[in-house]
Amino acid sequence: MAAVNGERLLDCAICPNMCRCECPVDQEWRREASSPAGKARLAHLLLEGRLEWDSALLEVLSTCLGCRGCQLLCPFPGLDLSRELLRVRTEVCPAGITLPAAVPYLNNLKKFGSPYGARRSGSASRERQGRPEVLYFVNCTAQANNPRMQQLTLELLGAAGVSYEVLDQYCCGYPAQIWGDLDLARQLAEENAARIAGSGASLLLTDCPECWHTFTECYPCWGSELELPVIDTATYFLELVRQKRLKPGPVKEIGRITYHDPCIWARVADKCEAPRELLQSIPALELEEARPGGQETRCCGGGAMFQLTFPERSARIARRRLSELPPSDALVTSCPFCRENLQADGAEVLDLVELLSRAVFQEKDE
Amino acid sequence: MADHLSKVIQEERPSRPDYASLAKQLAAIVGSDGVSADGADRLANCRDYWPMGTLWFLEGKSPALPDLVVWPRRTAEVAAVLKLAVENDVPVTPYGEGSGALGGAIPLQGGIALDLKRMNRVLKLDRDNLMVTVQPGMNGARYEEYLNRRGFTGGHFPQSLRCSTVGGWVACRAAGTFSTRYGKIEDMLVSLEAVLPDGTIVHGRDLPRTSTGPRVDHLFLGSEGTLGVITAVTLRIWPYPAARIYRSYAFETIEQALEAIRRLIQAGARPAVVRLYDSAETAHHFPECKEAAGRALLILLFEGDGGIIAAEAGLAAGCAGEQGALPAGSEPVERWLKTRFDIGISSALFRQGAVVDTIEVSTNWTNAAPLYHAMQKAMLAVEGTVLASGHYSHVYPEGTALYLTLIGFPSGDKEQYYKRLWGAAMESCLALGGAISHHHGVGLHRGLWMAQEHGTTLEALRLIKRAFDPQGIMNPGKLGLEEAAKWRQ
Repeated sequence: MAAVNGERLLDCAICPNMCRCECPVDQEWRREASSPAGKARLAHLLLEGRLEWDSALLEVLSTCLGCRGCQLLCPFPGLDLSRELLRVRTEVCPAGITLPAAVPYLNNLKKFGSPYGARRSGSASRERQGRPEVLYFVNCTAQANNPRMQQLTLELLGAAGVSYEVLDQYCCGYPAQIWGDLDLARQLAEENAARIAGSGASLLLTDCPECWHTFTECYPCWGSELELPVIDTATYFLELVRQKRLKPGPVKEIGRITYHDPCIWARVADKCEAPRELLQSIPALELEEARPGGQETRCCGGGAMFQLTFPERSARIARRRLSELPPSDALVTSCPFCRENLQADGAEVLDLVELLSRAVFQEKDE
Repeated sequence: MADHLSKVIQEERPSRPDYASLAKQLAAIVGSDGVSADGADRLANCRDYWPMGTLWFLEGKSPALPDLVVWPRRTAEVAAVLKLAVENDVPVTPYGEGSGALGGAIPLQGGIALDLKRMNRVLKLDRDNLMVTVQPGMNGARYEEYLNRRGFTGGHFPQSLRCSTVGGWVACRAAGTFSTRYGKIEDMLVSLEAVLPDGTIVHGRDLPRTSTGPRVDHLFLGSEGTLGVITAVTLRIWPYPAARIYRSYAFETIEQALEAIRRLIQAGARPAVVRLYDSAETAHHFPECKEAAGRALLILLFEGDGGIIAAEAGLAAGCAGEQGALPAGSEPVERWLKTRFDIGISSALFRQGAVVDTIEVSTNWTNAAPLYHAMQKAMLAVEGTVLASGHYSHVYPEGTALYLTLIGFPSGDKEQYYKRLWGAAMESCLALGGAISHHHGVGLHRGLWMAQEHGTTLEALRLIKRAFDPQGIMNPGKLGLEEAAKWRQ
């Protein structure tokens, strides 16, 4: 990872917080120190050696969802505050100072390779004759909270006649990086990269934007660049629909849906179109656009593993986002963190894969 | 952690409260997450967007530090906090989102920074009477978004919209860029609720007009936290505009443009946006506009009922034509709408060692052009100043605001240069009978000229201050009501 860009950070530090209205953290905490420029000011003073590190300061600097909502309004082209803060936490913060709430999850990562504890192993494969077309990377959050996602994804791949293998993987390394343990993140990346290379697959499939981002942006910086393309489920399944290898039908009892764009897919990966096109491939389905939506979407509060480290705040951010979404028969998203977090008040939230699965298999089942 | 940063203008107060004990008592009022003595919070709430604060930050200095930061959520909590502060003689500095440009949020004598951002709920939307009541800590852009979702607009769009609070607007007598149609915040204010230092809660009534003596709640307009704490405001709102028209005109001289605007406004037209840029700012903001090269560009944005604004736009074309203006189309207005919140250049200049600031004053039409020339000349005469450009905005039948942008690269001490620059600006403004501020307020810095601005009314204002706040705990050193000795030096 590149060094902190002190000049960019200073631009932010001396800005009057022109982006704060789009920062879910600022709107939830309402604490000046946690505002975007508030964090940049503290980070600048730390870089200048005018403040001393302690865990309270690290906690303030960790209150960034990484959603890039600030970039929508940032007056400084090219400034990515979340990235600069991440660099400050991982590369400037002295060893031994850790975000207290992250300690048990870091211990899990070290012991089990997953922040949630013991992993389920992968290795489900279908019609594997030689190299699989697709290597499916099951993200830790879905594995822990919605294990059915794996089954549904594999059923869809199977229905399309795709040969696949499920990677017996470790966490991608994203949480370890977020919590400042770059060495651990690198170890996990190295382990995953070796297993991925060993699979011989021609494509790595993921349903998690944070995993996708870590594979594509961080692994190369950590010396674990993957030699195969990494693709998200929406884009991949859309292609299978276009090729008529998957044929979605109408979904019973769901006529109007609201789609919540996950912030990393929307703003970092620029993937707003594929999920919409996939949704439009389902007959008789009407899409209600969220306001704000698309690239201007707002984080559900699940970014940067907030569900684990700041659970109450994270749930309140989710409620705020839910209040912005238009009513419909189903709320659909395409990120395990969003799916989990937007269920804050018991609302039913579907991953795009779950909806597609119903569209593809419902009629058949009946 | 924060205490080893030098506090360059912190004033001493004779009382020496036990802040550890006070923090416990405050936690009993606002909850344990509602009070902090943490260094990160004290640093975060020690300054606003006053350029001197930025210059000190770049030098690793802090203007002053609060001893505690307190976040109330309800009016009753504010009342209890203020009573406790009076009992312990602890200064209280209200804090919104810190976008003030004059140092008004600096806790000059330490004490409590009363951060109102957690009071950010809409209390009542009155659709029939077109009013909304909100808590003071609501973010401006979120306030407008709330209204837009329901088919209304608040009509208030300061450049700080995204980083200021509704309460801050009222406390500083703010103006938004659409003020010619919707008014300044004082024109939008129906009533407010405030807490006096002794804990008394005063409410205005949400009625259109009254003839029942002076409005006590309206005394808090522009009070900048010196009289008490604003805890709720009721503002006028408007149906979301049905139509918009954009026009722009390029004039040979500022004087011709001002005459066109004067005639337009005095004829009864109320464009939402009226902005007249001098040739330097025209070249900077609208380099693509060929008609405006070397000229002063006027941009107009009309909004509301389609028929009414079409008539207003027609009137504007006539007034501009009479002064020999060249029509420059709608593109400059579209460009302004896209770039109006872009303040990136200021940060870049600060990093390069510049002193950057803006000064907004107001004057009658008869002095509008002379004031611009006089202030520009005075500021350019201060050694180190490289730019003193200007535009007019916020126009009224009786006059206009003048907004000057200043850039200097002083060879010596920046603080001394800053004071000289402001001295030149304020003295030249006062000499021509202008008001020293149109909408940024007074804060700490402009207090230096409040006696000249107010004359005999300043003492009356001080009497009101003493009646409301006899111990002087509310935002001491601001609004020119008391001495801010270290800064005056």
